[in-house]
Amino acid sequence: MNAATRLPSVGAFRTVRARLLFWTIVVVTPIYAAALYLSFQATAQRLEQDAIGAADELAARLAMGLDAVIRPIEGGIRTVAYQLEEVDAPPSQYLQHIRGILSAWPDVYGSTIAIDVDDGADARPFAPYLFRVDDEIRYSDLATDDYAYRELPWYRAAADGGTAVWSAPYFDTGGGETWMVTYSVPYFRKHPGGARTLAGVVTADLDLEWLRRTAAAVSLGPMGIGWLSPADTASDFIAPIGDTPARINRFDSHIDASAVRAAGEAMLASGSTFGSWPRPAGAEPAYLAVRNLSTLGWHLTLVLPRDELLAQARQLLQRQIALGLLGLAVLVVAVSLVAAGIARPIRRLAMAVGGDLRFELPEAPRRDELGVLTAALRRLRDSLQEHVQLRAASLAAEAQLENELEVSARIQQSMLPHGDSLRALPAALEISVVLQPARHVGGDLYDYFPLHDGRVLFVVGDVSDKGIPAALFMARLSALLRVLGAAGGHSPDRLLAEINDRLVEGNDTCMFVTAGCGLLDPKTGRFRYASAGHDPPLLRTVEGAVQPVTVENGPAIGIEPTAHYPLREGVVAPGDALVLFTDGVTEAEAADGSQFGIERLVALLGESTDGNPAALIARIVAQVASHAADHHASDDLTLMAIRFSPADVLPHVVPDGAGWLIDVESSPTGLERAQRRLRGILQARDIEPVLRHNAELIAEEWLSNVVRAGAATSRQLSMDVALTRSQIALTFRDDGDAFDPLEAATPDLDADIAERPIGGLGLHLVRELATACQYTRIDGCNVLLVRLDRNT
Amino acid sequence: MSLTISITDGPTPTLALSGRLDTHTASDLEQVLNRLLAPGRKILRLVFDLSQLEYLSSAGIRCFVRARKAVEPTGGKVALVNPQPGVRKVLDIVRAVPPGGIFTSTAELDDYLDEMQRQVGEQNDPD
Repeated sequence: MNAATRLPSVGAFRTVRARLLFWTIVVVTPIYAAALYLSFQATAQRLEQDAIGAADELAARLAMGLDAVIRPIEGGIRTVAYQLEEVDAPPSQYLQHIRGILSAWPDVYGSTIAIDVDDGADARPFAPYLFRVDDEIRYSDLATDDYAYRELPWYRAAADGGTAVWSAPYFDTGGGETWMVTYSVPYFRKHPGGARTLAGVVTADLDLEWLRRTAAAVSLGPMGIGWLSPADTASDFIAPIGDTPARINRFDSHIDASAVRAAGEAMLASGSTFGSWPRPAGAEPAYLAVRNLSTLGWHLTLVLPRDELLAQARQLLQRQIALGLLGLAVLVVAVSLVAAGIARPIRRLAMAVGGDLRFELPEAPRRDELGVLTAALRRLRDSLQEHVQLRAASLAAEAQLENELEVSARIQQSMLPHGDSLRALPAALEISVVLQPARHVGGDLYDYFPLHDGRVLFVVGDVSDKGIPAALFMARLSALLRVLGAAGGHSPDRLLAEINDRLVEGNDTCMFVTAGCGLLDPKTGRFRYASAGHDPPLLRTVEGAVQPVTVENGPAIGIEPTAHYPLREGVVAPGDALVLFTDGVTEAEAADGSQFGIERLVALLGESTDGNPAALIARIVAQVASHAADHHASDDLTLMAIRFSPADVLPHVVPDGAGWLIDVESSPTGLERAQRRLRGILQARDIEPVLRHNAELIAEEWLSNVVRAGAATSRQLSMDVALTRSQIALTFRDDGDAFDPLEAATPDLDADIAERPIGGLGLHLVRELATACQYTRIDGCNVLLVRLDRNT
Repeated sequence: MSLTISITDGPTPTLALSGRLDTHTASDLEQVLNRLLAPGRKILRLVFDLSQLEYLSSAGIRCFVRARKAVEPTGGKVALVNPQPGVRKVLDIVRAVPPGGIFTSTAELDDYLDEMQRQVGEQNDPD
């Protein structure tokens, strides 16, 4: 399987790159925007300030430029006036002065020296006037009748004020026949005593067209428009400055010279020289700058559109935005590359990490966190590999151990009776055993095998420990049992003692085993039993009674150097079963800690209707399992049930007791066997000796009589022994010739010994010993019922 | 479980029976008696020690009867000593031996024998 195909897919918007980009843009963009905005604001403000300064400066420069042209003219005229005052030249020289003026200042259109006629002696009006027409200078005397110069404003203003003054624009009819302004300077005649009287007025005319040209020749600079206009609003003369006529088209229709002039005058009136121009809504915002020309006394009005003023700021802003966007783009690309640079190696690492732990990691040493991660992954991989190897090794070891344990378990199983030893068992014994080790191998053991004399040795034991040590100890025990037990001649008590002797030797581990050992004769039901510290077996009788086969316990095997084991002898009746067990049964614990217990076992055995060993054991095992439920068995469990089931006896339950139907073979040996059965049953049930004797005698007498009499005819012969608490009932049945024993003659017991016939005594004894006798002939059979009262 | 016969031979042989004397074992005793009571041999007293005899059936009783038949004609006596209750009961029922032929112990038998001896002596005294 390819490891890469199992990598979980990452959503397109969940990648490191997407996140980085998203957050970069989200965070950086507002910062950029804010920075741009603030920067624009600051720049705009500064530019506006600069523009305001520039506008002021422009106005000042324009004013100065115009003043620079006009001021020398003013100076010249005032100088002439001064000379006239000082020298007191005669009027004849006036023309010479005027000619000097015109030649000194080519910009002067015309000039005159007008005499004030109120000045004494030669009071004749005289005002020679020179003016330019084309390139020549013409003369005209202004002192004509229809041109009373002394009444004209240019004369009166200077004469009345006593100082130099510029006139408002006017149309001259004295010779120039053109629009002009006139600079008038009065000059005085000094009289002795310091008095001065007006002698006349010197003038210089400036052609308005010249002024217009001069204004147009001034450079406005990169922006704005402006006009030059007289302070006297009565004159509507306005001269556009520099490129104004060409630039005005760039402005909206609300801009025209007169409006600008009006606004400028209003501003000057309010004492300000610069400010924003209040304009109607929709009109372009603009600034207004106004200057008063110090020479002409005219006004210079400039309009600076805000847009133009801020054009630079806007440009700057645009450049900054462009730069910002470019920066953002670069940032995005950079972040993207960085993110890719982080994500790609991570993805490569992820792809490299495979499921089989043999994956190769990139070798190139990185000095960043990815390098750390790679190193960590490498360490993880290596330690995992190591761990996996160790685990595999330990699993192999476990498997080995498991295998050995299984082999051990099989070996141990093989030590238990199987195959030949089972086949060799006498048919009269039914044995069923179960051994459930708590672990693979256990410390419980059981064994049974027939001795050469036909008796069967049976053992159930429990080694003190569990697991392998117990199993090994158990193996020794098992081997000793087989060797010593099979050698024969040993009663269980001797066998236990001998095994104890062997196992005590070198028992450094101080292990011990409790064991119950019995020897059962399948011919008679006689048994011997000895116990080495083991729980007494339970005897389940045909009647369903359960009682322990008590015997004084000897020490557990392996403890005492010399041990004595008391022997218990007894007889089991056909159908009785001995049940041996280990504490794995009685001490099986439920989840709540309660033990299965001997009482439960006794009750269970008593309740069982079927005394079949296999059924008994299956039932107990099931009950123990159900008691322990899921609780893991902590101890080995062994159960052995041996039922004495001779083929010729059919045990059955009768009210208040049990019965045994004994099939009697019609022969001396058959008779003997039947007698043995009866004897065994009576012994097993502890019938008191005299009564037992009588019962046995009755059986023998009757059966031997039948066998003798019916050796040729009788085929079916049986005896049923029914034992209740109150009586013994023997029922004999045979299919021989009808014969009523009760009818038989009583022998003459008083006859002399010499005369007495041999025989006939038996039936007499039967009749005498029985509590009651009853004979019936049923279905071609003689049925004799003999009762013996148990209470007499 | 079978019959064990211990014989103490002599002028007054004693047979100690142990175990069961029944149909199957009677023949053993029969054989012993046959040897013991060989024709021509005069036995004054034949003692059966029954203290260890657990069981006795009619077949065994017949042995005692035969023994009596063999001994009594020559003046001999058969004595049964110390039978167990069951055995005693059977002996009583069938009256296998005359009254006085069963002794509860060897001491009683000895007393009886001494008495017999004395009587015999008295009978012989007039001589």
